Amino acid sequence: MTKTITEQKLRSLMDLLLKEGRRVVAPRQAGSIVLYEPIDSGEQLVLGIMPRRSAKETFFPLCETILTYGKDGNGVMVSDVDAGAFPETILVGAPPCDAAAPAVLDAVFSWDYNDEFFLERRKKTIIIGLACTAADDACFCTAVGLSPRDDKGSDLFLTPVAGGGYLCDAVTKKGKVFLDTYASFLAGGEAKPLPSAEPAATPLDLAGIKDWLESNFESPLWQEFADRCAGCGACAFLCPVCHCFDIVDEGTETKGARRKSWDACGFGKFTNHASGHNPRDIQNKRYRNRIMHKFKYYQDKFGQTLCTGCGRCVRSCPVGIDIRAVLEEIQAKP
Amino acid sequence: MCDHTKNIYKPQLATIEAMIDETPDVRTLRLVFQDEAVRESFSFRAGQFAEYSAFGAGESTFCIASSPTRKGYIECCFRATGRVTEALRRLEVGETIGVRGPYGNSFPIESFFGKNLVFVAGGIALPPLRTVIWNCLDWRDKFGDITIVYGARTEADLVYKHELKEWQERGDVRLVKTVDPGGNSPGWDGKVGFVPTILEEAAPAAENTIGLVCGPPIMIKFTLPVLEKLGFKDDSIYTTLENRMKCGLGKCGRCNVGNVYVCKDGPVFTAAQVKGMPQEF
Ligand SMILES: Cc1cc2nc3c(=O)[nH]c(=O)nc-3n(C[C@H](O)[C@H](O)[C@H](O)COP(=O)(O)OP(=O)(O)OC[C@H]3O[C@@H](n4cnc5c(N)ncnc54)[C@H](O)[C@@H]3O)c2cc1C
Ligand code: SF4
Ligand code: FES
Repeated sequence: MTKTITEQKLRSLMDLLLKEGRRVVAPRQAGSIVLYEPIDSGEQLVLGIMPRRSAKETFFPLCETILTYGKDGNGVMVSDVDAGAFPETILVGAPPCDAAAPAVLDAVFSWDYNDEFFLERRKKTIIIGLACTAADDACFCTAVGLSPRDDKGSDLFLTPVAGGGYLCDAVTKKGKVFLDTYASFLAGGEAKPLPSAEPAATPLDLAGIKDWLESNFESPLWQEFADRCAGCGACAFLCPVCHCFDIVDEGTETKGARRKSWDACGFGKFTNHASGHNPRDIQNKRYRNRIMHKFKYYQDKFGQTLCTGCGRCVRSCPVGIDIRAVLEEIQAKP
Repeated sequence: MCDHTKNIYKPQLATIEAMIDETPDVRTLRLVFQDEAVRESFSFRAGQFAEYSAFGAGESTFCIASSPTRKGYIECCFRATGRVTEALRRLEVGETIGVRGPYGNSFPIESFFGKNLVFVAGGIALPPLRTVIWNCLDWRDKFGDITIVYGARTEADLVYKHELKEWQERGDVRLVKTVDPGGNSPGWDGKVGFVPTILEEAAPAAENTIGLVCGPPIMIKFTLPVLEKLGFKDDSIYTTLENRMKCGLGKCGRCNVGNVYVCKDGPVFTAAQVKGMPQEF
């Protein structure tokens, strides 16, 4: 049977979850912009606005401590971070492009070696996705196999209905258990979903693009695509599935922490050897890696596209590089 | 390998038991794991690498330069070139460093049994072959002729000088050492010339022989054609790639050559494999 929840009940459910000690992460006003951040009350939940940064930091923070160390005479004490103590988290209000992203990243964070920092947070988080009713002109989820009403990656999925409130569907077993637990917040009955957003983007031929990438590592087009790229990394930092990181020590030789922090393959020093030799010495090689990783390498390795079409890179590139135009040009090649 | 409750970024602690200055800026550290269980269980294969930490500065990637046949310790050999390596150099015997590993693939030594081996190394790149050399010398009867061609810019830049002497004196290894023109003193008892030239002159037979080559990109570039000329096939030549790494675990996205993660699929590749890769190393 269809379940619905009113906006008011959704906010009070968040209040209850907070009271129960859960961390609730949701789009929330942060100064002049909206970001995914822990909320302190259901009132702070901002629904239907795409946050400036993606939801990946719920699982993969911008910068996180992976151990601390302290020197004592000739010895060193290394203290682990207790990933078991990561809080139970509800991520709520993520549009399909953000809700789908963490599951895409499971592959890289679990092949052979398990990155417990990412995976423990995944295990402890319930994702409540939200269907999109308003796309802007940068959105292109429909070009890369998703849609504004796709529940992929969500445990629970909300669809706005006419007259206010949401349809509430359990997508995974985790979501179903959650729904059963908090059934008192829901109502039954008929409700008419609002029409979902309609991004202008048409589906890309991802297989064809991959084929072109396969045989065009040396194409002169890379120069053309990336001649303006400033290598600022904005696209990578805002991307829900870019996951390059650095490992750095912060502190002194006697005391400090080792941290994992976001990095970007577009940065000039990213692949620089100590000798000064740099395999990706110019920006178009770095931009090529960005496109290759997303539309070929990640496919080769894990059978998935490393892009959910959220459009943040399009909206934020300071020099106006539009990944859709790049992909369309590739697609038009024989 | 899939252990849910383990921090994959946490290093084991090791004590610097000894150090040797190979050249003015290249140092060997001999490391002994502090945890007895780790000391006993740590095993690796020749060609694998590790992440070594100087706490407060960070981690650096070096191969494990000692042979897996020598138990109880490992060695690394590094050139001071930056933040971490300078910090590692400041540590004294008895102090502690972190070690994560072993990572990556290795030289398939067992498949070399019954064959001749030709090692070709340049400069600081002897360590990744030195582990194989000692591994093979410790199993000497498994192999045919062993030839080592090793060169550096100057005499002072040769690493493992004491071991070069040892290899020179052994009757069962042919060592051809060389320095670049102008890099020799009057008393120099080796060759003078670039590694590829000296290799061509030494002309080891390619028949039933495996070639192992490590060196700066420029040396590798000129050495492969020489091996080819001598009759070596691309799938019987092995080398290592040293793309910059951070995690060593296939996560951080730094080390790839095309769709190959050097830290997981490498660092050891055949020349045939390398030729099939995009030029990104
Ligand atoms: C698989 C593998 C095996 C390796 N094995 C060995 C080995 O056995 N022995 C060995 O010596 N090396 C080895 N290397 C290379 C080694 O990892 C690097 O030389 C080392 O990590 C660089 O150390 P660092 O952290 O001190 O440099 P960093 O401080 O990280 O600096 C390196 C980067 O910063 C730049 N940089 C550094 N200092 C300065 C400065 N003062 N001013 C401006 N720029 C600067 C360099 O250009 C370089 O890009 C290996 C690498 C790989 C991938
Ligand atoms: S946001 Fe634009 S300029 Fe910045 S790295 Fe990405 S493509 Fe280049
Ligand atoms: S070193 Fe991090 S992916 Fe290879």
